[in-house]
Amino acid sequence: MATLVFCAPGYPGAAGDAQPFVDKFAAAAASAAGWPAGSLAAVYDPTEEGGLAKLGGADAVLAFVPYPFFIEHGAALHLTPIAQADVAGTGTQERWTLVGKAGSVAGPPSLAGYTLLSIAGYAPQFVRHSALEGWALPADVRIESTGQILSVLRRVASGEKVAALLDQTQAAAMPTLPFAAQLKAVTQSPQLPVAFIAVVGSRLPAARSKAFQAGLLKLGHGAGDADMLSSLHLQGFVLPKVP
Amino acid sequence: MKRALTCSALAFVLVACATRPPRTPPQPTGSIETLAAAIATDAQRSDHEPDPQAREQLAADALSNAEACLAQQPRAVPCLYGHALALGLQARVHPTHAIELLNAMLSELTSAEAGDADYDRAGPARVRALVLLRAPGWPLGPGDADSGLESARRAVMLQPDYPPNLLTLAEALAKTGDAAGAKETYTRARKATEASTPTADRDDWLREADEGLRRR
Repeated sequence: MATLVFCAPGYPGAAGDAQPFVDKFAAAAASAAGWPAGSLAAVYDPTEEGGLAKLGGADAVLAFVPYPFFIEHGAALHLTPIAQADVAGTGTQERWTLVGKAGSVAGPPSLAGYTLLSIAGYAPQFVRHSALEGWALPADVRIESTGQILSVLRRVASGEKVAALLDQTQAAAMPTLPFAAQLKAVTQSPQLPVAFIAVVGSRLPAARSKAFQAGLLKLGHGAGDADMLSSLHLQGFVLPKVP
Repeated sequence: MKRALTCSALAFVLVACATRPPRTPPQPTGSIETLAAAIATDAQRSDHEPDPQAREQLAADALSNAEACLAQQPRAVPCLYGHALALGLQARVHPTHAIELLNAMLSELTSAEAGDADYDRAGPARVRALVLLRAPGWPLGPGDADSGLESARRAVMLQPDYPPNLLTLAEALAKTGDAAGAKETYTRARKATEASTPTADRDDWLREADEGLRRR
């Protein structure tokens, strides 16, 4: 059976717990596309390695991935975006913000020897060339993934040689932290997509891909869609705009 | 009591909602001890239940039992603790309400710990640690590994030989970057499990300790 692989490294959620919700999404999307009932399965994996393994399976015809994952692995996996997610509270695009200790981080050279931590740290190509395009990180900056961004910001504030790259939701909440005065937003990315649904290689015939894309664009407009989408923190989909 | 019973079911990203999920069945009867035991059983069964609809039913049963318990004795630790567990099960099956439910769960655990920190072998601190370690982190939810580590240390201080407390501390150490401490604590947890009386949970504890050691 054709499978849609959801992969969201760094985001919360266990595969088993998420399964009922991705199942509902797959059923609704297939129905909107005019595909036969039961023709699309869905599977969720919260890890980069697990997601890559699942996308390597011959049944994996579609991928739902955050933009950093797309930048890091899209070429190797031959991912072709067909829809861009409209995420509740964020939209279809977001800016990423580099945060350092106030008074310690100015231009790129001041980060020499630092560790940069981010929920997108598993995607160093994204960090260096998309989020921080035009803000050339020193070569010795270590880029690492973390799901514990609050702990990272405490380390930044305490003066460790650590910087954080925040997504839009995290950056918007930064002023609410009790130690916000010790943090400084150093630079921001341009507007970048949040997440894509993409076809994997040539595993889906063009006509089926088109039908699925049309179905995705309809989601969010039908009765009952809102509840199904909100369980995945989604509002709908738009045509993809790859920077 | 099992340690995995608090973890929320959270998909791609989470949304915080302001309304409560629908309440279901009529209130059961029984002593608070009976109701607390029924909640614990629901939680344990939920951990091993693959069917989402069955998990939803278990969550509804647990909440119903917790509300019946609180109706009898609103400040009784078994009821506060049971209510916290029931809210955790609700969070697992109602992800769009998970943040509100997890925050309420933490509040109940605070009250339970203030009433009797030793209840369920330091259960309030242990479960609190698990919520803080596994819930969505700032700014989406109450997850906070540093605070989770503090709670896990508190549970181990109160009940140092209880394997779930050690497993929780090992997980907290791993999540806060202390790989050596995590390995040592998983080893302690394994030894404590081997020395413990055989129970239904013993195999799960051993498996979890072994998995933790393999990842180190």
